[in-house]
Amino acid sequence: MTEAAQETKTTSEDWEPKIVAFCCNWCSYAGADLAGTSRIQYPPNARIIRVNCTGRIDPEFILAALDMGADGVLVSGCHPGDCHYTSGNLKMRARWALIKRAVEQAGIDPRRIRLQWASASEAQIFADGVTLLTEQVRKLGPLRGQWR
Amino acid sequence: MTEPVSVAMGQGSSCWGCYQSLVDIHLRLADVLPKLDIKFWACVADFKHKDLESYPDGSIAVGFYEGVARTEEDLHLLKTMRKKCKTLIAFGSCSCFGGIPGLANFYDIEDALKVKFKDNKTVSGGQVPTENVPPFEPVIRPNSDYVDFDIYLPGCPPTSDLIFTAVSALLEGKEIELPPYAVCHYCNREKKETPIPEILRPYEGVADPDRCLLEQGYVCLGSATWGLCEGQCVNRGATCRGCFGPVPPISQDQGAAGVGMLGTYAPIEPDKILEKCKDPLGMFWRFSYPSSHLGRIRIRREEAKTK
Amino acid sequence: MTEERVIKIDPVTRLEGHGALTITLGKDGKVKDVQFNVTSTRFFEKFLEGRPMEEAPRIVPRICGICPIPHHLASVKAVEAAWGVTPPPAAIKLRRLLIEAKQLSSHAIHFYALAAPDFVFGPFAPPGVRNVAGVLKHLPDVAVQAIKLMQFGQELCRAVGAKAIHPTLGIPGGMLSPLSEDVRDEWLKQIPEMMENLQKTVDLAKKVVNDYIDVITKVAVTPTYYVGLTNNGVHDIYDGKVRVMNPDGKVEVDFDPQDYPKYVGEHVPNHSYATHIYYRPAGYPDGIWRANTLARCNVADKMATPMAQAALEEMRELVGRPSHHTFAYHYARVVEMVQAAENIQALLEDPEIVSTDVKLSDVEPRAGDGVGIVEAPRGTLIHNYECDENGYIVRANLIVATNNNIAGIEKSLMDAARFIFEQQGHKDLKLPDPIVKV
Ligand code: SF4
Ligand code: SF4
Ligand code: SF4
Ligand code: FES
Repeated sequence: MTEAAQETKTTSEDWEPKIVAFCCNWCSYAGADLAGTSRIQYPPNARIIRVNCTGRIDPEFILAALDMGADGVLVSGCHPGDCHYTSGNLKMRARWALIKRAVEQAGIDPRRIRLQWASASEAQIFADGVTLLTEQVRKLGPLRGQWR
Repeated sequence: MTEPVSVAMGQGSSCWGCYQSLVDIHLRLADVLPKLDIKFWACVADFKHKDLESYPDGSIAVGFYEGVARTEEDLHLLKTMRKKCKTLIAFGSCSCFGGIPGLANFYDIEDALKVKFKDNKTVSGGQVPTENVPPFEPVIRPNSDYVDFDIYLPGCPPTSDLIFTAVSALLEGKEIELPPYAVCHYCNREKKETPIPEILRPYEGVADPDRCLLEQGYVCLGSATWGLCEGQCVNRGATCRGCFGPVPPISQDQGAAGVGMLGTYAPIEPDKILEKCKDPLGMFWRFSYPSSHLGRIRIRREEAKTK
Repeated sequence: MTEERVIKIDPVTRLEGHGALTITLGKDGKVKDVQFNVTSTRFFEKFLEGRPMEEAPRIVPRICGICPIPHHLASVKAVEAAWGVTPPPAAIKLRRLLIEAKQLSSHAIHFYALAAPDFVFGPFAPPGVRNVAGVLKHLPDVAVQAIKLMQFGQELCRAVGAKAIHPTLGIPGGMLSPLSEDVRDEWLKQIPEMMENLQKTVDLAKKVVNDYIDVITKVAVTPTYYVGLTNNGVHDIYDGKVRVMNPDGKVEVDFDPQDYPKYVGEHVPNHSYATHIYYRPAGYPDGIWRANTLARCNVADKMATPMAQAALEEMRELVGRPSHHTFAYHYARVVEMVQAAENIQALLEDPEIVSTDVKLSDVEPRAGDGVGIVEAPRGTLIHNYECDENGYIVRANLIVATNNNIAGIEKSLMDAARFIFEQQGHKDLKLPDPIVKV
């Protein structure tokens, strides 16, 4: 997309938040699936990317998403203690603390990123998280607009 | 003897450390210098900017550019160097990634100007100078946003041996081949891959000289950093702060890699991490902020202001 | 001459830092204005804010790659002052070794690379020759002895500080690594050769001084205040009080580092990004001072080591105390090189230098305001940080060595320009034949 096209899109009335959601295969992605089959409503703004564990999410994925045009990023994984690879999510949790602080230091509202735990059966929790982040980001407006 | 190779040594805003490191090849200078036909090098020879501008485009074989484009003049020099030199080298981490001067992007230039010229313990009521000084660029962009480089030679500064290797290759017309390993590869410390229960600030305790510093709790960027320095700090007791930038491909986000690595070693409660590491941006992105993802978003913020 | 004329020299070469020179000649042919335009700055004071204070010593060396060690040490001293920490004696000795090694290499490189080409080839030789490469080509012996001195200094910095440029071993509470006995022994072995090269340098410098005595005593003789660290009046570059001497040679004050805001002022000229540092009680421009080699040799009652003291006495016989002769900086540089060499030898011979007790283990941050002062080769260097109770910097103020000299440089350039453009004095100067004719 050209700069100009993006520009009009981000400033126009019908702007919709673009959310990238990284979901762990074993719980959250299953949870998202379940949310779909159980017809739990949640906003369509999240593009879900399945990863085999939140421990696999390189912090660069999150930052690159923001750099490349996402307005918000969601990371959803198994509850601490339930990771299928024992501690992948604990590693993510530790990284998250630093990422969130760094994002804030770089002048980006930290409410644009969200880490949550949702098991395979917690479709509602997953959906609520997406809704919450989407609404939060909607209030903040487009990331590119944050500077105006 | 073969014809000397024409070179130009340019400097943006920098500390001169990269050139000092070049001079620190010591007696090997006696081999290298006679093979160079110096066309421009402000700290050593009395050529002026006009001299550089007067050379035909592409007439200089090799150019080194140290530092960042903090001012319009730096930027002009950078572009002139690109025009005049066949091969242009991003010399040092400032030139490759933004380096330490890139930390200025943490703040708005107005705030920086205020502290520098208007309000600190020894200055009061000064004005930002305007006469015979080039205006500042509001934000530091990676030099590669302005010009294409043929070679990146990172390091803060690149070691003298690395420079000598690179210059020798250039003089012989050979490709420069740089080993792709991280600092850890060159570190003599024993690694047991054990997670750490807490993070320590570098002044805390006394480190075991034989074990991996990271495994002892000290934040070390060795695994996220290109090991062209051969581990000169870590092998002497100091943690790596990442001054050689990311491991190849150098377009990687070094800070993100560092944070990833710390999470692997310290899967502990967020509060315990933040208590000891309140400044991740200044710790993990110290040498590469302008060229990182967060740094790019920061630069876009500046662009939005001027639009 | 009828028109106003502006002479611009851009960049000013063979100088560390970004600079241009603008000389304005009035219609009457008189020198109207001399500006030393420092054309960039990188805002360290600002971006230190928010950093953990112990990281400052790993960031600030990048202020200057030619004198990173004084920055590293002034910084670590500032942190220690804020946190109330005193490192073990052996750590202080290592730091002294580090700063003396830097002093030696910096003075050697300055003398040979930045100043000697003019003396060797004469000031009118073409720029392609009148540089360090030219010295190497035409006077290889001189160049080799110079390089060996620089190498000794730089490599010793590396041995003590892990990196010669941007060292990493200073830490609040000491040093991160001791010096091993083996390494120390290696360095002791190199002392005799270093001393020999030093002696040759002294001889060359003396020859140059005598050859150019007319220039030294006539061009750019500029009375200013002088500033430098002394330890009870003795020349010291790591620790002590800051002494200010007035143009008449009277000591105005010996102040403690933390009192610097009372005595140090920064004037912001409109034509330079480097501020002009001056003696605050005297105001600006009356209080313009100079730092660096000559200033230190002016303010000190005596040198700390015997050979250096002898050299100082010789120098004073020639140019007096205080000496306002800008070109005497070269002489003072040699006096200081001698002291650095003697101090290096004494430190390496001190058994405590290999002590492993070099770092405290119980350092704790606290809210504070700390000042660290050392002498960089180019002058008094001040780092001042305020931090919160976790030891994160909330405010920083830096007085970098070179800025102490900018106003003084302008003043002496003004004198030099008047001498050349108004009095045409350079035409009568007795210049010796260049050592090498090209
Ligand atoms: S890369 Fe480092 S050594 Fe080189 S100019 Fe930049 S700060 Fe100085
Ligand atoms: S993390 Fe640091 S201390 Fe550990 S092996 Fe790597 S470089 Fe060495
Ligand atoms: S160990 Fe790290 S900080 Fe030290 S020189 Fe190498 S890359 Fe730079
Ligand atoms: S497997 Fe779900 S977070 Fe690790």
